[in-house]
Amino acid sequence: MLRIERLPRSLSGRLVVGSAVLALLVAVAFGVLVFAVTTLDDATKRERHAKAVSAETLQLERLVLDLDTGLRGFVLSGRKDLLAPWTSAMAALPEQKRKFLELASTTADEQRRARALVTSIDEYATDYAVPVVDIARTSPAAARQEVVSVEGASQLQAVRNVFADFLSKESALAATRTSAAQRRSDEAIAAAVTGLIASALLIVGFGLYLARSIARPAREVAEGATRLAGGDLSTRLVPGGVGEIEELTRAFNEMAERLESSRRELEEQNERLRESEQAKSELVSIVAHELRTPLASVLGFTSVLLQREVTADQRREYLGIIQAQAHRLAALVNDFLDVQHLEEGRLSMAKELVDVGSVVREQTELFAGQSPKHLLDVSLPPTPLPVRGDSNRLAQVVANLLSNAIKYSPSGGVVRVAGKQTDHVIRVSIQDEGVGIPAELQQDIFGKFVRGHATANGIEGSGLGLAISRSLVEAHGGRIDFESAKGRGSTFWFELPSASPD
Amino acid sequence: MSAITETAAKTVLICEDDTNLRTLVRLALGEQGYRFLEAPDGPSGLELARRTRPDLIVLDLMLPGRSGLDVLRELRGGVDFKDTPVIVISAWSFSDEAAAEAGADRFVAKPFDPDELRDAAIELLEDDRVAD
Repeated sequence: MLRIERLPRSLSGRLVVGSAVLALLVAVAFGVLVFAVTTLDDATKRERHAKAVSAETLQLERLVLDLDTGLRGFVLSGRKDLLAPWTSAMAALPEQKRKFLELASTTADEQRRARALVTSIDEYATDYAVPVVDIARTSPAAARQEVVSVEGASQLQAVRNVFADFLSKESALAATRTSAAQRRSDEAIAAAVTGLIASALLIVGFGLYLARSIARPAREVAEGATRLAGGDLSTRLVPGGVGEIEELTRAFNEMAERLESSRRELEEQNERLRESEQAKSELVSIVAHELRTPLASVLGFTSVLLQREVTADQRREYLGIIQAQAHRLAALVNDFLDVQHLEEGRLSMAKELVDVGSVVREQTELFAGQSPKHLLDVSLPPTPLPVRGDSNRLAQVVANLLSNAIKYSPSGGVVRVAGKQTDHVIRVSIQDEGVGIPAELQQDIFGKFVRGHATANGIEGSGLGLAISRSLVEAHGGRIDFESAKGRGSTFWFELPSASPD
Repeated sequence: MSAITETAAKTVLICEDDTNLRTLVRLALGEQGYRFLEAPDGPSGLELARRTRPDLIVLDLMLPGRSGLDVLRELRGGVDFKDTPVIVISAWSFSDEAAAEAGADRFVAKPFDPDELRDAAIELLEDDRVAD
């Protein structure tokens, strides 16, 4: 595992290192092979050289033997012609010695032994062969005595012994060298072949590694891209691989992820657009429906008045209905416009100092005369309740809440209206003893066209009052809410930040 | 005049949540001398219909409690009201097909002409009488 951790992280790094290692291995194997061939060549050269040295040595020995033969023939017979081998050998000897010494000079030891051999030849010639021939010329008997003596024979034998010794050493040296060279060459060939086989195996392994780490992931990426292009955006590759391959799969997966999430976003956006289109078209239908109901009364009773015979009392009654429904239509149109402007954020509102206390008081007085069944109980502090805002819009909120309190307590009762200031908050609450709001409707009560069970009780309204009131209160930086239970009345309240009277 | 005496006995159930419109329907059909029953919401309309077996039902669609379509389907589902003529009145002008599918004989869009409603009622009650 340590080995793998030391490998380069990137695929290209690994490829470079792998190729370099393989090239080095093949180069070393070839180097070893070249070394083996060179060694063999060298051995052959040495062998040839050894043979040449031996030949020169034998030639040298033949000259020495010629020397001895001529010497013996001349001395023993006294015939001058028999001295010919001696004469020619003496003439040839210096040149042959030079050739021999030149050849036998590969090692210091050989050189030393060759010199020793030449020295012993020279000693034989100067101490024996030349003096004996000189003596034979003047006193043949003495020379003959010398030649047949044991010493004469031993002189030659000594030289021949040196020759034999030199030749045997030379051949032993040649054999040792040859076998050593042969062994080295064999080993080198074995090493080179092993190296080449190992290289071949490694190259195959490297090829497999390349196929596994490049070709297969590349095919998987290609297949994934095809699936992706075919529309299957959930396509993901199995993460992994080495270096660049891992980066490639990761980048591919990120791309697929982005594609999928952007398609999802587009679909969600489409869905939202569709929903908002639907909501808009529903709103238009609702508005049309809400307008048609009072319009049906206006047109219907107008037709009755025009086409039928009616009494004076009936005429008064129907005209009253027509007027009330026309007012209702006008109020509805105003509410629709208010909602539209509030939603578009272009409802213009004043930023004046307003006493909420007097707004509450005025509105309560307006409503007090309208319903004889209800008692309006107002509780306000003696000091003003100052806020910054639009007095008409705040009056609209109070009127909406008062109107609801009266409308949704059809059997009458007390409506308690209270205003107070706590720290920097001004709170107005309106409590009725009416029908209350069923739990299932409480969540949506500030929505548009939510009218509870109002229609069942013949309670009129656009279903927009609370939606408008909430928008107006929020536009003043306040909040609005309620507490209610079915059959036990409701308390609606709103809070506004107080203004410092500067 | 005997025909008028006979139709005067007919009962009309007005199922409509708006008080003024209930009055208007009554006025539109009033000269025919029908007897009127009124219901302001779906459940009470159904209950009244079952109890009194009216000869004609004028039904609003946007009713509290149960919608007019719901009431109509329920009535048409049983044997008692299979042939009772029903006039649907609605401010939802696109509901005529849904009303016909639920079994309405006529669809009158709000706002309506009182004479149009009257003519529809007379026609349906005449047919009804012939069928008897």
